[in-house]
Amino acid sequence: MTVVTANKLLGDPVDRVDGPLKVTGAAPYPSDVTYPGLVHAVLVQSTIAAGTIRSIDAADAEAAPGVLAVITHENAPALAEGPMTPLLGPAPPSPLKDNRILHHGQHVAIVVAETLEQATAAARLVRIDYEETAPVLGIDNPEAAVLRNPWGLETQRGDAAAALASAEVVYDETFAIAAGTNNPLGLFATVARWEGDRLIVHESTQWPTMARQTLATVFNVPENDVQVLVPYLGGGFGAGLRTWPHAILTALAARLVDRPVKLVLTRPQMFTSVGHRAETTQRLRLGATRAGRLVAIDHVGTSTLGAEAANMEFISIETGAAYACPNVATHDRQVRLNIPSPGWMRGPGSEGNFAIESALDELSYTLGIDPLELRLRNYAEVHPQSGLPWSSKALRECYRVGAERFGWTRRTPEIGSMREGNWLVGYGMAGVTFGGAQLPCQVRVSIRRDGSAHVRSAATDIGTGTYTVATQLAAELLGLDIGQVRVEIGDSDLAPAPPSGGSSLATSLGGAIRDAAGNLLRAFLNVLAEDHRSPLQGRRRDDVTAADGRIHLVDDPSVGETYSDILARHELDELAADGEINPQADGAGMAPSGPFAARFAEVRIDAELGLLRVARIVSAVDAGRILNEKLARSQIIGATVMGIGMTMLEETIFDPGSGRIANATFGDYLIPVNADVPDLDVVFVGEPDRFSPIGSKGLGEVGIVGVSAAIANAVYHATGRRIRSLPITIDQLL
Amino acid sequence: MTRIITLRVNGKSYENEVSPRLLLVHYLRDVLGLTGTHIACDTSQCGACTVMFNGESVKSCTMLAVQADGGEVKTVEGLATNGKLHPLQQGFWEKHGLQCGFCTPGMLMSSLNLLQRNPDPTPDEIRHALEGNLCRCTGYQNIVAAVQWAAQEMKAKPAAGVAE
Amino acid sequence: MNAFEYVRPDDVAGAVTMVSRDPHASYLAGGTTLLDLVLKDGVVELGRVVDITRLPLRGISRGDDTLRVGALTTMEELAADPTVTERLPFVREALLLGASPQLRNMATVGGNILQRTRCRYFRDPTVAACNKRAPGSGCAAVTGVARMHAILGARAACIALHASDLCVPLVALDAVVHIQGVGGKRSVPLTEFYVLPGDRPDIENVLQHGELITEVEVPLLPVNARSGYLKVRDRASYEFALTSAAAALLIEDGTIARARLALGGVGTIPRRAREAEELLNGAPAVNQTFRAAAEVALRDPFTVSGTAFKVELAKRTIVRILQTVSGVQS
Repeated sequence: MTVVTANKLLGDPVDRVDGPLKVTGAAPYPSDVTYPGLVHAVLVQSTIAAGTIRSIDAADAEAAPGVLAVITHENAPALAEGPMTPLLGPAPPSPLKDNRILHHGQHVAIVVAETLEQATAAARLVRIDYEETAPVLGIDNPEAAVLRNPWGLETQRGDAAAALASAEVVYDETFAIAAGTNNPLGLFATVARWEGDRLIVHESTQWPTMARQTLATVFNVPENDVQVLVPYLGGGFGAGLRTWPHAILTALAARLVDRPVKLVLTRPQMFTSVGHRAETTQRLRLGATRAGRLVAIDHVGTSTLGAEAANMEFISIETGAAYACPNVATHDRQVRLNIPSPGWMRGPGSEGNFAIESALDELSYTLGIDPLELRLRNYAEVHPQSGLPWSSKALRECYRVGAERFGWTRRTPEIGSMREGNWLVGYGMAGVTFGGAQLPCQVRVSIRRDGSAHVRSAATDIGTGTYTVATQLAAELLGLDIGQVRVEIGDSDLAPAPPSGGSSLATSLGGAIRDAAGNLLRAFLNVLAEDHRSPLQGRRRDDVTAADGRIHLVDDPSVGETYSDILARHELDELAADGEINPQADGAGMAPSGPFAARFAEVRIDAELGLLRVARIVSAVDAGRILNEKLARSQIIGATVMGIGMTMLEETIFDPGSGRIANATFGDYLIPVNADVPDLDVVFVGEPDRFSPIGSKGLGEVGIVGVSAAIANAVYHATGRRIRSLPITIDQLL
Repeated sequence: MTRIITLRVNGKSYENEVSPRLLLVHYLRDVLGLTGTHIACDTSQCGACTVMFNGESVKSCTMLAVQADGGEVKTVEGLATNGKLHPLQQGFWEKHGLQCGFCTPGMLMSSLNLLQRNPDPTPDEIRHALEGNLCRCTGYQNIVAAVQWAAQEMKAKPAAGVAE
Repeated sequence: MNAFEYVRPDDVAGAVTMVSRDPHASYLAGGTTLLDLVLKDGVVELGRVVDITRLPLRGISRGDDTLRVGALTTMEELAADPTVTERLPFVREALLLGASPQLRNMATVGGNILQRTRCRYFRDPTVAACNKRAPGSGCAAVTGVARMHAILGARAACIALHASDLCVPLVALDAVVHIQGVGGKRSVPLTEFYVLPGDRPDIENVLQHGELITEVEVPLLPVNARSGYLKVRDRASYEFALTSAAAALLIEDGTIARARLALGGVGTIPRRAREAEELLNGAPAVNQTFRAAAEVALRDPFTVSGTAFKVELAKRTIVRILQTVSGVQS
């Protein structure tokens, strides 16, 4: 086992570089932006889930104090649809197209006034007469349209049906997970300003490059005339991956009133306007031998979908990769309902893990095999779908180290056999195989005459620590102190970057920075190619490396000179180079791995009162090379707590008659609070990944995966109650 | 129907004419430009807008600016003294008690309220004292560590954490 | 919705006169209920806000057997009072479990008594059917999503919960509310202060418009009594009760000499469990007695699908608090 930690600055638990700004309240979030003459917008949302608008009476609103515009489908110009989005599919439909209502909370008007109070007051005066039709609601509604294999992601190997028919042991159960809402703390905001035909937007987005492309397409202006800025974002968790209708409406309002316009969503609007984790059901069938070998997996995942929206959902995406099973079939279904469009919420696909890892736990009791041992018996030594070796996989070490730290051997297998005072104690565990890709990414890195470096990319830091790891990487690769590196991100005018999403950014941006740093050294050598005063004249990239602010020979560090000296002598202020990665898995001879993990949970249950409390969770994670241990640990802890929320608390509830979200506040939609958090232990194991240029694998999402199954399995161990629907609440445990 | 209010914010006096509807948080952010105080729920449930009013933590989204007339407000911008971070600010940085940073100002002010009343809180006391402050990123564990760190620091160097 | 006027009267009589004369005026104390309803949820419209926070109604004084609590005393101040800690420990528990420190610093005792329901159907003006907001319009919660709703005192017209924690021990203690109106002062026991929904869920208590709660008088428990407050909820803290119970017991030689019991999280009003108390008084402090009391306390509930589980949960909550207070093992 190799514990991946320090490699010079890499891996060092460097304090986050944005810390001082954030603890002093000085970090500028989109909602903090203001301009002279800025005016405020407030949305009017549909109060029915399906039907049409018969008429809108905006007269009182328009006449209210301070009101500048009331924009509805009746007076809005036609807007183009947003572009097809790599990774995510079609853009959300543009707003105010016609009088049709597809979900409760749909934006039907935007009111602009001089002050927020005036806009809020006027928005309540907009009277809308609806022609209501019966909404299609409920994931099992027989009237709902069902899409089969909508994204072409279904997998098949062997003959799952035949193997199930002949298996010694067959498992067949269904699972249900409630809809959840991302709910980053930062209310999403848009501040839009037009300078002639140029649009500047301060936007709560995880993907400035895509936001720019979307706004340019919708408003039919060149991409270069749109600038999207988001230096800091108050969290995203997937909600900021799309450019949602409210942002388009704000830009439209700014154009129509010819003033800078600010819109900040309310918390209830955060439930209806920026996606949510779809409600899902799953049917899972397993076939196994009595010795605990999986012979068949058949996994059907069904998720909810908006009436006309698209959302790439893949509940069973990791099912085929998780275990060495010869016969696997996975199926994706999506059910169209009159609900706000679901979208990605941290760890899409984690739903499937809940089913698989719960099922294996059930199987372990049926077969009388320790749950951990059962997983080891089905360990996928190579990527099961392709037969290729993994680019890295230390799941076995995750199991071993995690079990050791947790004290798994102290578990007595009988149900209800462990107690502490009045509390029943349960131990549960889950294995995690998760995806996460490197995505195309570009960056520009430069060095100035004062010896400082500047890293520029349209990437974002949504709280994960992009500023910090980019600073660390550039400093290491260019041989600088971290204090000499300035990272500028969150600006779509900079080099195109993928989203902070899909556990992809740190590795993608890191790969691009590595490429750029190499190119920058080349650029310096090019400058010196004819420079006989330089000891490095005529040297090639492979001959040199960088340390302490200078380039020197690998073989003889005494031969070299500083960046500053080179730039000064050549009268250059700055030398820049671009870098990119464009990962190609085809022909690499290996299967690119995502992160792996093992989770161990201890729960306490007060059986009389139905109280479930998590006492501790141990997470052993293989995410390849860890760029900054402090940041990485924080990612896993934070995601684990979000997983606790998904497992025990969070549920976005649609009113069965009206399709209105019944609990769209922080008082009614419960996210974990401080006292819910147990003792959390995180350990990183494994080795640098071979497919990743910097050896790292994504770890922004893996922390949420496996939490649900580990807890539910522990609940079973404590009580004998097998719970296959989330969240696990008091009423389920009474 | 506007009203003139006079109050001190972070030790500085202000006099402004405001609408009675204006919430204290909007006064701080939009009138005074002190955008460190954040809004994350509008319904008194998340704690992001927590400030000190007359020495006690309050939710500035649940108070009218006119109610603050004659009072003393301290926001996150007033926490550091002469450019030197308050031990709580240092603790949140050092112990990584933040990710996106949006809840951080409110979290800091609630922590200040706690340490004023209980200079040596246990982890459990911290968890309950900060129950009214939601965080979606950090998982809270490092926040508890940050407050403990600050408490130790303030015990060691009492002058460092003087709370006016 | 128009801009409202803000006034800050100098004395109690002036404030009472001001609100009494203006049907569109309302008192503003801690603001934790009112400002949400007016400014954020938009379900209450006001012409005039009368800020009473600086009136001299703040402070606690101790008599021989009672504690007199000014209506503008904050929850935090009451929780910190040494007499409360010593003689009314379950009041302190309810205060600390009832709100976060920031809210306790703002919220007043009078305001806590007068807090409005957290029912989302009441607090969302886009929902048409709410008898509490618009009498005669119906109740969307009964057919909607109900969990944090009442099962006692509820009916098809309204299942809105009174979510106070503080009021649960206060009704158990026979606290008395002192009220000042334009016509003079009067006192009402808290147990008679609230009005069950009946046909007019919008009428929640006996106050006439303009009447102001000036003080709450809380009888102290006997020195040898024991008390406790149990709050059951999904989250470990910072959530309204699914069920709660406040109990005070005086036990002599294994027999319950005097019991006080009230329930939260289940009633349209803070719920005194008098029948259960009668059963407990004079009975042995054993589990059988506790369960029998719980059965009586939850007699004739009104449930909908989302609240049905609360009947059994409330019974178990009662049993548990009685066990805890009496020291009897389950």
